[in-house]
Amino acid sequence: MDDWKPSSLIKPFGARKKRSWYLTWKYKLTNQRALRRFCQTGAVLFLLVTVIVNIKLILDTRRAISEANGDSEPEQDYDEALGRLEPSRRRGSGPRRVLDVEVYSSRSKVYVAVDGTTVLEDEAREQGRGIHVIVLNQATGHVMAKRVFDTYSPHEDEAMVLFLNMVAPGRVLICTVKDEGSFHLKDTAKALLRSLGSQAGPALGWRDTWAFVGRKGGPVLGEKHSKSPALSSWGDPVLLKTDVPLSSAEEAECHWADTELNRRRRRFCSKVEGYGSVCSCKDPTPIEFSPDPLPDNKVLNVPVAVIAGNRPNYLYRMLRSLLSAQGVSPQMITVFIDGYYEEPMDVVALFGLRGIQHTPISIKNARVSQHYKASLTATFNLFPEARFAVVLEEDLDIAVDFFSFLSQSIHLLEEDDSLYCISAWNDQGYEHTAEDPALLYRVETMPGLGWVLRKSLYKEELEPKWPTPEKLWDWDMWMRMPEQRRGRECIIPDVSRSYHFGIIGLNMNGYFHEAYFKKHKFNTVPGVQLRNVDSLKKEAYEAEIHRLLSEAEVLDHSKNPCEDSFLPDTEGHTYVAFIRMEKDDDFITWTQLAKCLHIWDLDVRGNHRGLWRLFRKKNHFLVVGVPASPYSVKKPPSIIPIFLEPPPKEEGAPGAAEQT
Amino acid sequence: MSRINKNVILALLTLTSSAFLLFQLYYYKHYISAKNGAGVSKSKGNRIGFDSTQWRAVKKFVMLTSSQNVPVFLIDPLILELINKDFEQVKNISHGSTSECKFFCVPRDFTAFALRYHLWKNEEGWFRTAENMGFQCLKVESKDPRLDGIDSLSGTEIPLHYICRLANHAIHLVVFHERSGNYLWHGHLRLKGRVDRKFVPFRKLQFGRYPGAFDRPELQQITVDGLEVLIPKDPVHFLEEIPHSRFIECRYKEARAFFQQYLDDNTVEAMAFRKSAKELLQLAARTLKKLGVRFWLSSGTCLGWYRQCNIIPYSKDVDLGIFIQDYKSDIISAFQDVGLPLKHKFGKVEDSLELSFQGKDDVKLDIFFFYEETDHMWNGGTQAKTGKKFKYLFPKFTLCWTEFVDMKIHVPCETIDYIEANYGKTWKIPVKTWDWKRSPPNVRPNGVWPISEWDEVIQLY
Repeated sequence: MDDWKPSSLIKPFGARKKRSWYLTWKYKLTNQRALRRFCQTGAVLFLLVTVIVNIKLILDTRRAISEANGDSEPEQDYDEALGRLEPSRRRGSGPRRVLDVEVYSSRSKVYVAVDGTTVLEDEAREQGRGIHVIVLNQATGHVMAKRVFDTYSPHEDEAMVLFLNMVAPGRVLICTVKDEGSFHLKDTAKALLRSLGSQAGPALGWRDTWAFVGRKGGPVLGEKHSKSPALSSWGDPVLLKTDVPLSSAEEAECHWADTELNRRRRRFCSKVEGYGSVCSCKDPTPIEFSPDPLPDNKVLNVPVAVIAGNRPNYLYRMLRSLLSAQGVSPQMITVFIDGYYEEPMDVVALFGLRGIQHTPISIKNARVSQHYKASLTATFNLFPEARFAVVLEEDLDIAVDFFSFLSQSIHLLEEDDSLYCISAWNDQGYEHTAEDPALLYRVETMPGLGWVLRKSLYKEELEPKWPTPEKLWDWDMWMRMPEQRRGRECIIPDVSRSYHFGIIGLNMNGYFHEAYFKKHKFNTVPGVQLRNVDSLKKEAYEAEIHRLLSEAEVLDHSKNPCEDSFLPDTEGHTYVAFIRMEKDDDFITWTQLAKCLHIWDLDVRGNHRGLWRLFRKKNHFLVVGVPASPYSVKKPPSIIPIFLEPPPKEEGAPGAAEQT
Repeated sequence: MSRINKNVILALLTLTSSAFLLFQLYYYKHYISAKNGAGVSKSKGNRIGFDSTQWRAVKKFVMLTSSQNVPVFLIDPLILELINKDFEQVKNISHGSTSECKFFCVPRDFTAFALRYHLWKNEEGWFRTAENMGFQCLKVESKDPRLDGIDSLSGTEIPLHYICRLANHAIHLVVFHERSGNYLWHGHLRLKGRVDRKFVPFRKLQFGRYPGAFDRPELQQITVDGLEVLIPKDPVHFLEEIPHSRFIECRYKEARAFFQQYLDDNTVEAMAFRKSAKELLQLAARTLKKLGVRFWLSSGTCLGWYRQCNIIPYSKDVDLGIFIQDYKSDIISAFQDVGLPLKHKFGKVEDSLELSFQGKDDVKLDIFFFYEETDHMWNGGTQAKTGKKFKYLFPKFTLCWTEFVDMKIHVPCETIDYIEANYGKTWKIPVKTWDWKRSPPNVRPNGVWPISEWDEVIQLY
C-alpha cells in the first residue's frame, strides 16, 4: 500500500475491486452448496474428457501402426474393390440365370435373338450365304464373336474349323444356315460339328436349313433341321427357341496371375472370341513384347498413326508385328478407328495403346479419305513437336527392322526437298524381283503401305486442299496426282519392310490379293545396315545411276524379254535392257513387260525418269525407256529398243482395282 | 474446514488431470508426426524441422518419381517464390549439407509439381507404386482438347491432374500436354460425380481452377532441403505466368455448326488470304513478343476466332489490341525491321492511337490501342478526310490465352461481351459489308481533331 503512487489512480481501484470480487466468490463457494456441486461435476466432466481423449489416442495409434506396417495393404484393398465390382456388374445384367435364345434359318433370311434382342439379322439378297456362327459368353450372354463362313465356296470350311477350334471351351455356340451351306463343307468340318454334339450338322445337305445352339465341349442346347426336298428347292424355314442356362462367372474365366497385363487380357477375353491363344488359360501368348531397342534411334519420337477400319483380327495381327519391331515406342502409337466399332477398340486396349474413334461422315472411298485426313491432323495435334509421322494401315505386317530402316533413312526427308515420302513398300518387290535388303531406290510413284509423311508437307500443302467428302476420291490416288506430288520422289527399299496381308478390303478380293500381293518379298532379317544412304539424295542418285548404267552389261535384245532365258544364269551381275517409250507417259511396252514378269502392271509404279530397277535371278536388272528417259544416251547405237504389243482390248486386266 | 479441504483436493485433481491431458496431447502430436517419417529424422539428429509432414510427403514423392524415371518439376508458387528469394544460396548449397528445412517444411496444404505427359512412360505402374507407398491418389481425366478441332473424333481420355495425399499433406501433380503453338497446356480440375469433395481442400489448389497455358520451361536441377528437384530455369518468368495463365479453348462445336449453316469458303482466293493473314499474324506475334508487348485478337480477327475458329476470309486485315500503358515507341521501327512498313498512324499516345502496317499480298495489320476508364475500356478511330474522331466502347475485360492458327495467343476472357459490344447480338450472322464508322453498336462520335494537330494525328504513308 505504501508503494502506491498517487499518479496511478486506477490501479488501486481495480485491485480493490478484484479483491472484493474474489472474496465474494470465495464466500459464495464456501457457502453455496449448489455451486460446489457444480464445480465437482465440472471436474468429473474434465476427467471424463481425459478418458475419451485417451481412448481416441489408443485407437489412432493402432490405426497408424497398422498403416505403417502394411504397405501392401492398399493394393489389396484396390483389388478387392475390383473383385467386388465385377460380379455386381454381372448380376446387374439380370437376376435371371437363363438366356432365351431364338435362331432362325431359311433360304433368304437368318436371325438370332438373345433375350429378345436381335444380335444377328441378315435378309440382304445375294449376301451372307453360308453358315453364320455366333459365340456367346456363357456367364454374361454377351456376343463375343460373329462370323459367317460361306461354305458353299471352297476353303471357307477350313476357316470355320480354325475359328471353332479357337473358341474357348464352355462358350455358347449358335449356328444357322442362310441359303446354302453344305456344298464345300468337307469331312473335317463335319467331324468337328459332330464333336460339338450336332446331329444334323454332319449330315447337312444341299440347301438344307439348320439352326443349332450348343455349348462348346458341353451339351447341345437345341437343334432344328429341315431337309431340302429337291435340288431346285430349299428346306423349310426353321425357328429354334431354346433356353440357355448361364454359368457362374468364375467358371467362364481363366486363372491367370494377377498382373497389369493379365488384367488387360482378362478384360479382352471376357468380351471377344476368336483370337487364338491370347485367351488360352494354360499358356496364353504374350501381349507385351520387348524388342531390342535401337541404338541411336532417330525415329523414337516420331508418332505412328495406324489407320484402321472394322477388321479387328487384322488389327490384332498388325499390332503384334508392329509391337515386335525393334525400336518401337508404344506411347507414340495411335490407332485411328473409322467408326464406332467396339472390337477394334478392345484390341487396341489389349495392347495398352491409344485408340481414337472417328464417326463416319461420308461413303466408301471418300470416307476412307476423310478418315485419313482426320487421323493425320489428329496425329500432328497430339504430337505438336513432331516433324514427321509414320502412317500404317491395319492390314500390314511390319518387318522386324522397320524402324531401323526408317531411322537410317529419315534424315533424307529433312535434307532433300525433292523427296515426297519414305515408304517401306516396293511395288515391284516380289519374291522373284527383289533381292537386296540393304538397297534403296528413288521412285516417282508413291507406294503408301507403311510410309513417312513430313509435317510441313501435310500442313502446308496437303491438309488445306485435301479432297472434300463430296469428291469421291481415293486419298492415295489423289496424293499421286502431279498437282500434289509436284515432281517429288519417294525413297523405297528393294525388299519391302511391310507386307500387305489384307484380303477383305474396300478394293480387295481374294483373286486380286493372290495375284498381286501374296508373293511380295518381305524382309525378315533384323538390323540390316542400309548401304550408302546419302547416295539417295537428288544429285548423288543421278551419279549413282550413271555409274550403274556404265558398268551394266547390255542384254541380247533379239531375245524375248518374257522368256526366262532373257537373262543369263549368272549371279551378282548388272544388266540393262532398253524398251520403247516414246513420251513421258508412254508405258505400253513397260506394262506388257511387267505383265509377263508377273509384277505390278495395273498402273505404272517404281519408275525413276524412265528407269526401272529390279532383280532377276539374283542379277540387278535395269530397264530404260527409250527415248523418253534421259538415260537413253547410254543406249549403244546398235540396239533397237524392245517393243511389246498390247493384247487386243476385249479382255483387259481384272478391273481397275487399286491398292489401298 | 473439511469442506475447504475437499475443494482443495478437487482442485488438485483437476490440475493433475489437465497436466496429464496436456502431456498426452503433446505426446499424441509428437507420435503422429514421428510415425510418418520412418526414422529419417532420428539418424540426422541435429537437423531442424525435417520431421514435418510436408517435407516427408515431398520426399516420398520425389523418391517415387525418380525411381520410376518420371521427370516431374516443381511449380509450386509458394516454394518457387521462397527459392527465388534465396536463389544464390540454394544454388551454392551442395547436397546434404542443409541443416535447416527452409522450403518444403513451410506449412501449407499442397505442393504442386508438373510433368510433361509425353515423357511419362509407365503411368499405370507409377500410379500403383504410389498407392503402394501409402499415397492416396485421385486422378482427374478428361477428353483430349487437341481432338476437339477435328470433326467427330473421340478418343481415350487423357489425365489432367493427380492429387496424391500422404497423411495431411497432398502433392498436386499437374499434367502438362504439348499443344500446337509450342506451349504447354493443363486442364481444368473438374470433379466428377462420385469424387469425395473432402479428399483435400480443393479450393486451396493453385492450379486447375481454369485450364492454363505456359511457355515450355527449361529446367534445372537443384537441391532444396536435401531433396533433388527440377525447377524451371527461370522461376521468375514462370511465377509471372501463373496468375495470367488462364486458357480458353476455341468453341469448335459451335464453329462446326456455323460452317454447317454458312459453308466454309474454300476458294483459292480465300485459302490464299487465310495463308497470308496467318503468316502476318504469326510475324506480328513474334515481333510483339520480342518487344515484350502484350496484345490480343481484336475486332474481326477475334470474331473469326470466336465464331469459326479460323480467319474470316473476307475480312481483308488482321486486327490486334494493345493496352496503351503497354505502348512502346519502338513498335513502329520493330515492325519496319521485319518488313511491315507503317501505313498510317492516327491519334497520339494520349488519345485515340491507332497504327496500321502494310503486310504482304495486300493484307493489312491494324493495331488499336485501348484506354482504360473507371467502368469501361475504349479505343479510338479517326476519319482521315474529315478529322472526325470516334470512340469504341467496351466493357472491362481481362486477357486469356487461347490457341489460334497454331499459336498461343491472347483474347479477351470475356469474349462474348467484347464481341457483342463490337458486333451486337447478331454477330453469329456473317456480314460482308461493314462500315467501321457506323456499323458497330459501340461507336460514339468523339469530336474532331483540331486542324492544328492534323499533321501529328493523321499520318498516311
